[in-house]
Amino acid sequence: MKYKAKLLPPVELPELRTVGKPLRRVDALGKAVGATVYAGDFTMPNMLHAKVLRSTVPSARIKRLDVSKARALPGVVCILTAEDLPDAKLVTDIPGQTGQKIRAGSEAQVLASDRVRFVGEPIALVAAETLDIAGRALESIEVEYEVLPGVFDPREALKPGAPIVNEPDNVVARWKIRKGDVEAGFTAADLIVENTFRVPFIDHAYIEPEAGVAWVDERDVINIRVCTQVVEHFRSIARAMGVPHNKIHIQGTMLGGGFGGKEDITVEIFLALLARHTRRPVRLAYTREESIQAHCKRHPFIITHRTGVKKNGRVTAAEIKMISNSGAYPYLSPYVLLYATIMAAGPYRVDNLYVDSVSVATNNPFTSAFRGFGGAQAAVAYEQQMDEIAKALNLDPLEVRRVNYLKTGDRNATGQVIKSAVWLEETATRALEALGEKVVSPGSIKVGQGFASYMQSYGRITWLHDTSRAWVSLELDGSVVIRCGVPDLGAGQVNSLCQIAAEVLGVGLEDMTIYSTDSALTPLAGTTTATRQLYMSGNAVLQAAGRVREVLLDRASKYFEEAPEDLDIADGVVFVKEAASRRGGEPSSLNRSIADSLPLAELAAMCAAEGLPLSNLALFRAPFTAKLDPEDLQGDVFPDFTFGAHAVEVAVDTETGEITLLKSVACHDVGRAINPAAVVGQIQGGGTQGLGYALTEEVVVKDGVIQTPSFAEYLIPTSRDFPTTEAIILESGTGVGPFGAKGIGEPSLTPAAPAVANAVADAIGVRIHELPLTPKRVLAAVGRARGIGD
Amino acid sequence: MLPEFNLLMPQTLPEALDMLAAGVPDAVPLAGGTNLLVDMRGGSRRPSVLVNVAGLDELCGIRQEDGHLVVGGGVTVAELLDDPLIARHAPVLRGAAAVFANPLVRNRATVGGNLVDALPAADMVPPLLVLNAEVELVSKDGTRRVPLEEFIVGARKTLLQPQELLVAVRWPVSPPHSAGAFRKVGLRKAACMAKVDVAVMVEGDEGGCCRQARIALGAVAPRHFRVHAAEDLLRDQPLTAEGIAEAARLAAEAACPRSGSEYKRQVVEALVRRLLTGVADDIWK
Amino acid sequence: MQPRIVTLNINGRRYQVALDPNVTLLHALRDLGYTDVKNGCEKGDCGACAVLLNGKAVNSCLVLAWQADGAEIVTNAGLGTMDNPHPLQEAFADTGAVQCGYCTPGMIIAAKALLDRNPHPTEDEIREAISGNLCRCTGYGQIIEAVQMAAKTMDNETMNNEQLGGGR
Repeated sequence: MKYKAKLLPPVELPELRTVGKPLRRVDALGKAVGATVYAGDFTMPNMLHAKVLRSTVPSARIKRLDVSKARALPGVVCILTAEDLPDAKLVTDIPGQTGQKIRAGSEAQVLASDRVRFVGEPIALVAAETLDIAGRALESIEVEYEVLPGVFDPREALKPGAPIVNEPDNVVARWKIRKGDVEAGFTAADLIVENTFRVPFIDHAYIEPEAGVAWVDERDVINIRVCTQVVEHFRSIARAMGVPHNKIHIQGTMLGGGFGGKEDITVEIFLALLARHTRRPVRLAYTREESIQAHCKRHPFIITHRTGVKKNGRVTAAEIKMISNSGAYPYLSPYVLLYATIMAAGPYRVDNLYVDSVSVATNNPFTSAFRGFGGAQAAVAYEQQMDEIAKALNLDPLEVRRVNYLKTGDRNATGQVIKSAVWLEETATRALEALGEKVVSPGSIKVGQGFASYMQSYGRITWLHDTSRAWVSLELDGSVVIRCGVPDLGAGQVNSLCQIAAEVLGVGLEDMTIYSTDSALTPLAGTTTATRQLYMSGNAVLQAAGRVREVLLDRASKYFEEAPEDLDIADGVVFVKEAASRRGGEPSSLNRSIADSLPLAELAAMCAAEGLPLSNLALFRAPFTAKLDPEDLQGDVFPDFTFGAHAVEVAVDTETGEITLLKSVACHDVGRAINPAAVVGQIQGGGTQGLGYALTEEVVVKDGVIQTPSFAEYLIPTSRDFPTTEAIILESGTGVGPFGAKGIGEPSLTPAAPAVANAVADAIGVRIHELPLTPKRVLAAVGRARGIGD
Repeated sequence: MLPEFNLLMPQTLPEALDMLAAGVPDAVPLAGGTNLLVDMRGGSRRPSVLVNVAGLDELCGIRQEDGHLVVGGGVTVAELLDDPLIARHAPVLRGAAAVFANPLVRNRATVGGNLVDALPAADMVPPLLVLNAEVELVSKDGTRRVPLEEFIVGARKTLLQPQELLVAVRWPVSPPHSAGAFRKVGLRKAACMAKVDVAVMVEGDEGGCCRQARIALGAVAPRHFRVHAAEDLLRDQPLTAEGIAEAARLAAEAACPRSGSEYKRQVVEALVRRLLTGVADDIWK
Repeated sequence: MQPRIVTLNINGRRYQVALDPNVTLLHALRDLGYTDVKNGCEKGDCGACAVLLNGKAVNSCLVLAWQADGAEIVTNAGLGTMDNPHPLQEAFADTGAVQCGYCTPGMIIAAKALLDRNPHPTEDEIREAISGNLCRCTGYGQIIEAVQMAAKTMDNETMNNEQLGGGR
């Protein structure tokens, strides 16, 4: 099947100087030469080393906890247990925000006192003079467990009589969508297709394990230098420790990867407690095994689609059921479930839609945020379902989607009108065209192609009233300072802000310095999650820089005796536009005439002398909407969505089950690429994470115990596993981010795994309903296909 | 974090052997450490004394002597991969070295270490089995040679005595009209443990007859093994497609007796068939 | 367990340090301030701790410091600085190969080892050489571009040096 790229509507994107250029990022060289100081690279004099004692059983009562031998070891300075910290509790779920009920697990003790509910649950903290001593102290702590029945399968956990993980019951969250009339829709259908899909626990596998250093200073402030996606956790930590908010100071570092795994509190609380108790600096760094055990996982889901369709592929009704595995504590399970529920039907017009979803507690590792946040899991199901519908109707997979794709102005599953460009067909056809014709396959090697379209929200749920703040200042010499609390996970969050401010103020990226990620010293910008930072902090910087520019041009207009609209700034020089163009170009040292141009530094000095503000603190607000009625979930939920597609070609060895990816192409409408090289990096990197999700990754958990404890068992893609994903960037300019940008951080991952699943099904003629597509599962499926063929 | 231990740094082989003799059973040799240090950090092994043999001259070197190839026990997998003698005379071994762990680990992991650790998925073993290799074990009291097939007795179990070092592995240079091949199947394309390891070697004559075939499997059982039933079938026979298919079937049967994994059985069958077919092409086409 | 004085030649500087036998080269390096050498897994699976040990790229987490006594060790920070970056470091910074940057020092060491023995590697050879260095951010595409770019730059530099060098 030959695909041709659908023509794009004409888009007029203004030519920009800094934004839109693949410039070297401001953080790149420091990292490249090894100068950047990550959370685990920092040391202080007199520093102690910490370790955490964790539960080795998934469900038990702690009968006896004896730390006396450990306390007596020379060099052990402090041991903390729940007994020492009766009031230390952290919120793992915010019922008021999600509309879900208050439950025992919503607020968990920092250290377990009576019950442990998952393998890895923290029980005691040790701080010692050396790491060796801390390790030996850990080994000398005696714990006696009374093993209690545990429950590990969410469907079992829903049955009456199942062990209760956290009172009152194992239902952590439920959501439902009620739109239209599914009964009528099914009656009108020519065919009903039903399938169930399953996805496993996944680990973020950032190369930097969690780490940090904390110390109490002369103001009694507890400083925590840590890799985190959220500096606002200082409030929860203060509350857990019973100190005022202004006594906790989080200095966030450049992260060595986050992906949602450093979104909840990890080491911060342990560091703060030990630093306060010992009054000495304390360092805690997780080992890889500890990281895999201790931080959250991606939610496993079981998703059932029942879809009524007409012969031409048009969906008449969809009934979707979802069960997610919340693990031992709620954390962000209600939210992840909400996202999955809203995106359950995919980027399609479904007028009759019922979705019922439930998130269930089990004695497994707890699950929380992971790039895609329920949207990725939903896509694995809805895109495979679309291909199954195409197969059942004997239609081309793209055609089935075409007749159902959302368009700008349509309402999505919650009835929200999508206002931005919805370039589903544009992105899918481009990806497929670039994929090209299927290669011919010899003998036992079967080649298949598959693609997936998707929608993924960017920006947080609008009933959460999201805000971000940024401060931009022009120095007297024309250099620029940004202060913004934004955490940088490695995707270029701080660099984007610099390029935006540089664009607005007409200076080069090299003239920017940004101070970021400090809960006390930089304006709070909110979490780096939910693909929100470019949208939120980018707009805040745009506003702040814009106001500084206004002041400058206002003053300059008096200087030049021209209207501010007739002035511009470039290369650190303010100039009169008309005069410059008359001379044939922008001001340069050759082109400059004293009469119609002025160095920014001189203008800044003028403004300063007159007391005009050369800095601005901006607060950007996302739309504030009301919470939806949980009975039907109809209304506006997200600021906007990103749309795109991923297409792959695979070769399946039907004798060994091995899958080789031959080609991978992704096309996304990112609205506007602030830094195209960074966007390519996200598309390739997020795409590769999605390919790993499909093929090589699974945190295998058996009766609550992780069977894949290190990078030898938990396999993320190496350089040899997949060809580079060809990244096709489209720019509709219709995003609500700065310069019309949308978000790409999470969207880049969402379509990859279903594209692979569809390609494999195309290759072997039969579908494997769960990820990852291991050689074992492939061979079993090939066997089934042979059976069908007989 | 490693537990505490004493580390002895001998400068010569006799020194190392003296230290081992004096230190057993608490003393163990340390070469590349790519298994041992990992096990010690994980707590599964806790020797109180390590004798560093990495870099001992007597354990280095790859040479040809008396119609045999001799590889020092301290030769790293990377050195094996780069060596011209191995490339020319033992491509089956080179094939395993190429997919062994990852390039960084290869620069430290030693052939001797891989053999004495005898992990079920040890990639060096199947090629050396089909090369009919024997290991040379040395202690303060003398030297002995043991066929590799006898040397490994089970998962992580060998005939190595605590005071012995594996100083070399040797095998006869392959005659003309012979070829070998190795294939590893894992869960990812690089840097992973084998789920199935297969090595084959065929020694033929000009006329298309297989004089001797050797087939070795790894990772499918606790112990690496040669599939003698299949080898017997192919001995002194023209190598035909039917013969290859039957040999592959016998290998699959040996790898997974009826109650075993269907997946591994299918993979072994396919790989043995393909490798034998490929090797036949190499020799006679 | 008794410590002994070990001589480590790191990035051209000579250190004599008293170290316990159970200290890995990774920890010895980091404790001496070479925090560009990262701890990602401590068992040879991720390559974040890679250094050149007498010219060979190895996982420093699997080398005991005593085993490196007298050896020449090069870490990523020894290849170049902010003021004078190595062509590999420049290329990594320019192509987008650096996102979170945590895998970068080990990755550059593996690339350096490759270019030292093979100045004109194919894409396949680059993929193979870095297959022991895990990256979770980039999908490796821009990393491969960076190695190719650096190979060209270093090639030009060698040509220029040869042209200028003459009888030097």
